[in-house]
Amino acid sequence: MADQYVSVRNLRFLLHEVFKVSELSRFEHYEHYDREAADMTIDASKQLSDKLLFPILTEMDRNKAYFSEGSVKVHPKLRSVIKNIAEGGWISAHNTFEQGGQQMPLTLLNAALFIMYAANGNAAAYAFLTQGAANLLQSFGSEELKSAFIPKMYSGDWQGTMALTEPQAGSSLYVLLSTAEPTEEGHYKITGQKIYISGGDHEAVDNVVHLLLARIKGAPAGTKGISLFVVPKLREENGALVSNDVSTAGIYGKMGQKGYVAAHLMLGEGSDCRGYLVGQPHMGLRYMFQMMNEARIGTGLMAAATASGAYYASLQYTQERAQGRPPSSKDLTQPPVLIIEHADVRRMLLFQKAVVEGSKSLLLQCSYYADLEMVASGEDKQKAHLLLELLTPIAKSYPAEMGIRSVSEGMQCLGGAGYCDDFPLEQYYRDIRVNSIYEGTTTIHGMDLLGRKVLMQDGRAMKLFAAEVEKVIQEALKEEALRPFAGKLGQAIKDLGKTTYHLVGLAQQESPEVFLADATLYLDFFSLVTIGWQWLLQGVHAQRGLATATADYDRHFYVG
Amino acid sequence: MKLLVCVSKTPDTTAKIAFKDNNSAFEEDGVQFIMNPYDEWYALVRALEVKEAVGGSVTIINVGPAANDTIIRKGLAIGADSAVRIDANPQSAMFVARQIAEYAKGEDFDAIFVGKETIDHNGSEVGAMVAELLDQPYISFANHLELDGKVATISREIEGGVEVAELEVPFVLSAAKGLAEQRIPNMRGIMMAKRKPLKVVPPTAFEDQAVVVSYELPPAKAAVKMVDPENLDELVRLLHEEAKVI
Repeated sequence: MADQYVSVRNLRFLLHEVFKVSELSRFEHYEHYDREAADMTIDASKQLSDKLLFPILTEMDRNKAYFSEGSVKVHPKLRSVIKNIAEGGWISAHNTFEQGGQQMPLTLLNAALFIMYAANGNAAAYAFLTQGAANLLQSFGSEELKSAFIPKMYSGDWQGTMALTEPQAGSSLYVLLSTAEPTEEGHYKITGQKIYISGGDHEAVDNVVHLLLARIKGAPAGTKGISLFVVPKLREENGALVSNDVSTAGIYGKMGQKGYVAAHLMLGEGSDCRGYLVGQPHMGLRYMFQMMNEARIGTGLMAAATASGAYYASLQYTQERAQGRPPSSKDLTQPPVLIIEHADVRRMLLFQKAVVEGSKSLLLQCSYYADLEMVASGEDKQKAHLLLELLTPIAKSYPAEMGIRSVSEGMQCLGGAGYCDDFPLEQYYRDIRVNSIYEGTTTIHGMDLLGRKVLMQDGRAMKLFAAEVEKVIQEALKEEALRPFAGKLGQAIKDLGKTTYHLVGLAQQESPEVFLADATLYLDFFSLVTIGWQWLLQGVHAQRGLATATADYDRHFYVG
Repeated sequence: MKLLVCVSKTPDTTAKIAFKDNNSAFEEDGVQFIMNPYDEWYALVRALEVKEAVGGSVTIINVGPAANDTIIRKGLAIGADSAVRIDANPQSAMFVARQIAEYAKGEDFDAIFVGKETIDHNGSEVGAMVAELLDQPYISFANHLELDGKVATISREIEGGVEVAELEVPFVLSAAKGLAEQRIPNMRGIMMAKRKPLKVVPPTAFEDQAVVVSYELPPAKAAVKMVDPENLDELVRLLHEEAKVI
């Protein structure tokens, strides 16, 4: 097992030097978060990850979740992991004090979450899935629903899920068939089935609360007829928890994330499944998009964090394994050198570092926009909203897609050992694969970016993005070492503009099919420019740090 | 029960150790510091458990400059009620013990907890010195503590067994692994830490009788020796004569 899975130094650099998270304390909502509070938060996440999450990363893979006698068995330590995360206040950390949270900036929370996901995303995901479901209830649920469900979710006693997918309705949610029939008692009778429900059923919690999409009988066809319901596995009656007629047909045998359950659920087979409407009828998909947007950033975090674990495992191996001699050495009696000394091994390590730290930076940038969207006002708020909307498909897809390649390079560093389960690379490779499928496939995000986000408000988000990139280019031009990179990024943003202009032109001249045919390739290109922007931003701050660093440790960090 | 926990600042376990000023001082530039784990994981947490069981208060004390406030705040985030920092650079174990004892004299603590040692100097001296200066009983390396009213039963591991002592408060105890289980600060604790009192106290005049002349790093590890698999005699010789393990 590797010793390291994340760079806390790099996270501190991003939080304090690049994004200056403590400056968010100028807003009343975040006034308590100075640098000291941020550092303690990061340290607490690392301690929890070292103590509880990382030690069971491999165990959860080897002892995968299984379905037996009607219930789903998971790793025996998972209950205490979820409980510890909950008692640490992590599930509710971003919520207001009145809601039982700590008003923590999302930028800081996601940095802390990155550590937990890098240590063991398969365990941490249970708790943060609950966070997303509880947030949805906080935003749109009645006071009665909130008080009935949220405290038990924040305490880690009850699992939260998002239940969308059905056998015939994956990316096409408008054809979902689960139905909700109103009753005189006020609740709805739910029937149907849901598939691939992460955390959908397991024994590490006392109950599971599904935030579920269904169609009220007689509702309009398509997405406008979809409503959101709370459907618990067990419902409360006369002070006791009784079955709510939600049963598990089985769990999926997944390629990776074997400790993280994906369940197939049957609803109302005994005509006794009760659902409670969240918000207004027929608004379900709109509500659910709040959770899905958060979940997309979360998926990007999970992918980048998994790639981080793989990077440090491969880095350690290359510093211990000796093979071959430098090409210039002809002396066969000389001992082999550590493989990190070979140029191509270094290339593979640097590729991983570029993907991991570039992704991490973009994810914190998006989190920062989310914070500003919440606490800023006027033009700043609107700008943050548009940039977050534009960049969310990239923040989800780039870490997911490039993370796969990154882990693959990590495995390559180990040669045959990387393919075997004596080392964690093969698990990381299996675990990371699903992130480009979760929360909308890469194809969906390509179409979202080109077909919707780029065109939003007559291309305003795109113009704001170009201005943000230009701002960093101007800063980089002041640093001699960065001028060549600033020039390249300047050319790339022009090329992106031309490509976008050409494709939007196609939309007007040709069919939508032609317009969107290359949407994924467009997403790839846009992503590279975006990550280049984030690396140049880091470069500017690294140069500034280098100019004032006095310790070798810091100088080495800034040089990379 | 009024409890005092002594906490030290130590380099993180992964910190690169280097010296300055002709090897007479530790190079702190660029080093990440943490609360000494024996103070945090065992001394502080057991003190908090005692307070939670019988009531009272837990104060943490540190001898150090303002830069140490970060680790003091962590102690408050974990659950201590208040903190005191003696505003002086710690120069030796005796200097630290003298400052702590001077402060504790006027406060009537029922018990004082220290970690069994710091992970940098590994001196295991401060606890015993504080006990002596306060004329109180001292139990070192405690790995179990029970309190019944004013009577404490404390266990410590000794060579080949366990020694159990019974004594009345006040006393000084040094905490070893097993006394408690590490607590991770929760988010509420981190928020609350900023609002808890941290009193800064000037140091008592004290002339140190010991002066550090120099530090040095241990010798670098020798390179791995490759032994031909056919040459078992050579392997046995190396294990016997150089490694001295057989």
